[in-house]
Amino acid sequence: MRAMNAKILVVDDDTALAEMIGIVLRTEGFEPFFCADGTGAVEAFHLAKPDLVLLDLMLPGIDGIEVCARIREESGVPIIMLTAKSDTSDVVKGLESGADDYVVKPFNPKELVARIRTRLRPTPDAPTGSLTVGDVSLDVAGHEVRRGDDRINLTPLEFELLLALALKPQQVFTREMLLEQVWGYHYKADTRLVNVHVQRLRAKVEVDPDNPRIVMTVRGVGYRAGSTA
Amino acid sequence: MFDLNWRSWGRRLAGLWRASLQLRTVAISVALSALAVGIIGVYMALSVGNNLFTSRLDSALGSSERSNVAAQNRFDATEDSVGLDLERAMDNAAQAALQSASSPDQSTLIAIMRTAGQSGASIPIDKVSPTLDADAIISPELQKLVADSTERRQYWQSVSLPQEDGTVDPGIVVGSALQVPNSGKYEMYLVYNLNDTQETLNFIQQTLWLGCLALVILIGAVTYIVVRLVVGPVRIAAETSEKLAAGQLEVRIPEKGEDVLATLARSFNGMAASLQNQITKLAALSQVQQRFVSDVSHELRTPLTTIRLAGDVLYDQRDTFPPATARTAELLHTQVQRFELLLADLLEMSRYDAGAVDMETEPTSLVRLVEDAVESVATLAASKGSDLRVVAPGGYFEADVDSRRIRRILQNLLGNAIDHGEGRPIVIHVDSDKHAVAIAVRDYGVGMTPAAMDRVFDRFWRADPSRQRVTGGTGLGLAISLEDAVLHGGWLEVWSAPGEGSCFRLTLPRERGVELHSSPMELPPVEALPEREDSDA
Repeated sequence: MRAMNAKILVVDDDTALAEMIGIVLRTEGFEPFFCADGTGAVEAFHLAKPDLVLLDLMLPGIDGIEVCARIREESGVPIIMLTAKSDTSDVVKGLESGADDYVVKPFNPKELVARIRTRLRPTPDAPTGSLTVGDVSLDVAGHEVRRGDDRINLTPLEFELLLALALKPQQVFTREMLLEQVWGYHYKADTRLVNVHVQRLRAKVEVDPDNPRIVMTVRGVGYRAGSTA
Repeated sequence: MFDLNWRSWGRRLAGLWRASLQLRTVAISVALSALAVGIIGVYMALSVGNNLFTSRLDSALGSSERSNVAAQNRFDATEDSVGLDLERAMDNAAQAALQSASSPDQSTLIAIMRTAGQSGASIPIDKVSPTLDADAIISPELQKLVADSTERRQYWQSVSLPQEDGTVDPGIVVGSALQVPNSGKYEMYLVYNLNDTQETLNFIQQTLWLGCLALVILIGAVTYIVVRLVVGPVRIAAETSEKLAAGQLEVRIPEKGEDVLATLARSFNGMAASLQNQITKLAALSQVQQRFVSDVSHELRTPLTTIRLAGDVLYDQRDTFPPATARTAELLHTQVQRFELLLADLLEMSRYDAGAVDMETEPTSLVRLVEDAVESVATLAASKGSDLRVVAPGGYFEADVDSRRIRRILQNLLGNAIDHGEGRPIVIHVDSDKHAVAIAVRDYGVGMTPAAMDRVFDRFWRADPSRQRVTGGTGLGLAISLEDAVLHGGWLEVWSAPGEGSCFRLTLPRERGVELHSSPMELPPVEALPEREDSDA
């Protein structure tokens, strides 16, 4: 195996499925690691230092949502949930605990790989330098966001979301546009992804999340960046 | 204004009349008893009045006769026919007559008059009580009867006696003839005032009417109480069964005593208990079943994912397999996909059955949703040769909907239209008014019989089992679409005619929770017909 291969931690209690996912990932040139329960997941995460985590929501021991939250506490590594339920509550809970994206079982290999690749790709050709939205500044090359001298810790996904808005401050983005640009969905997907991550982003960058100045809602259409003034 | 008020009162009263058994019973019994008591009262009043008068008349006639005898005796005793004596005899006679009249009060009046038309001087002169207006009270008819009488018969007549204070008292005049020696025939009239009798009668009648009124009120009150006693439990039973019907299965009627109402309560409670038992049992059963379906669907998903991944890996490498194995990989791939769709629909259905569905609504432009949906099936439509057209006259197209669900409905309707559209154009109408938005998908394909229309929303029902499907539906599509529409408080309706095609109309309220009353669009929509001749060509 080449050292360049992205490492992916698969947390799933169904060994057959985990093995099958492993086969698919290896075929696609990734390096999979496995963990079969929630209790050992965080430790496995520490050991493997993966570039991405595939996380089943229903796990023995600690459940997937809790695992997700614990990983998110210490790392911004992309997390894709595997879920048997597309019900609102479960998906939203997972997204709120920090998952970047989710795949509903049963999924096909192409779909899974496409999701993984989107989350692993480098930020698309953005101009290097600095952008400002409201009173925060984005260092595009360094993936850093600052308000004054304070660094705001964003996950790669949150950074991309903010960057997408900041690059075209005049434009109003519909949820579908953001799904395509940030999540790489070229067809209609779940707009809850956008809603939840906008909430998470606001919680970090806004001074008052209830009265947003950085990520503005355009009612009935979508979102746009706050004015720089 | 007044008239209007009156009418509305009338209506309210009529409503109350229909609604209240109590009011009706009390009113009817009061009316009937008032009639009965009234008839009895009138009869009693009349007969009492009659009796009083008769007895008073009898006593008047008796006393008048005694008076006549007394007066006649006075005159007869007067030997001397000289004027002065006769005058005194007249006084005496009058006094004797009055005394004999023995009236309890002094209201009896007397008049002794010489019969007109006799020769000789009128000695003694006529004697009339000072307060008696003889000419007015004593009628000529009575005078004539008395004057013509040969024996000492008595004649009487009822009269009205005007009083000094302006009132008029009833009275009787009794007339009889007297023979005054040497002077001829005299007439004696005694006028009896019946005021006291009238007063007695008035008092009796007043008492009688008050009694009747009290009786009617009493009957009303008794009826009210009795009806309350009976209607009360019946009303409680009615309220309880309403609650029971509304789903409060634990309500019961209090059971008191041993009477027929208690029996009613007991049997009602027995019925409610067995009903509750059955429903609870059924609900538990249905819950278990729904849980089971949901669990099975979920449990199936993980192995299905593995199968799916394995199948796809094989499918991707099918070129390297021998032909039979390659075909096997292909079949595995398509059938796993089909299985997956079926499972997804089944799961969605079980979610509806369990009542565990959430809606994520936001203001959405339905025209845009329609355009998206049309775009997503454009390739499929083109492969079948159907031309998709969107007809959307302007209006309020934004509505508060869950776009995922509406998109699912539209894709389903469009898929069906393409499947059954025979390659003819498919027209999607979008129209709206202030309260609702309607989307109609109209095809000009095979259409359906009315029997098929009735079943089109049934689960796993297919219009024509032999028909080849392109969209690979699961048979649950329309059932789910209907549930989606109902979840929005909307309607999903169908129109169809064999050979003319079908039309499905989705009507949604523009705001969530607003009740729909009408759709902004006809079913099927009125339209300029697309060139059907062309489509056949």
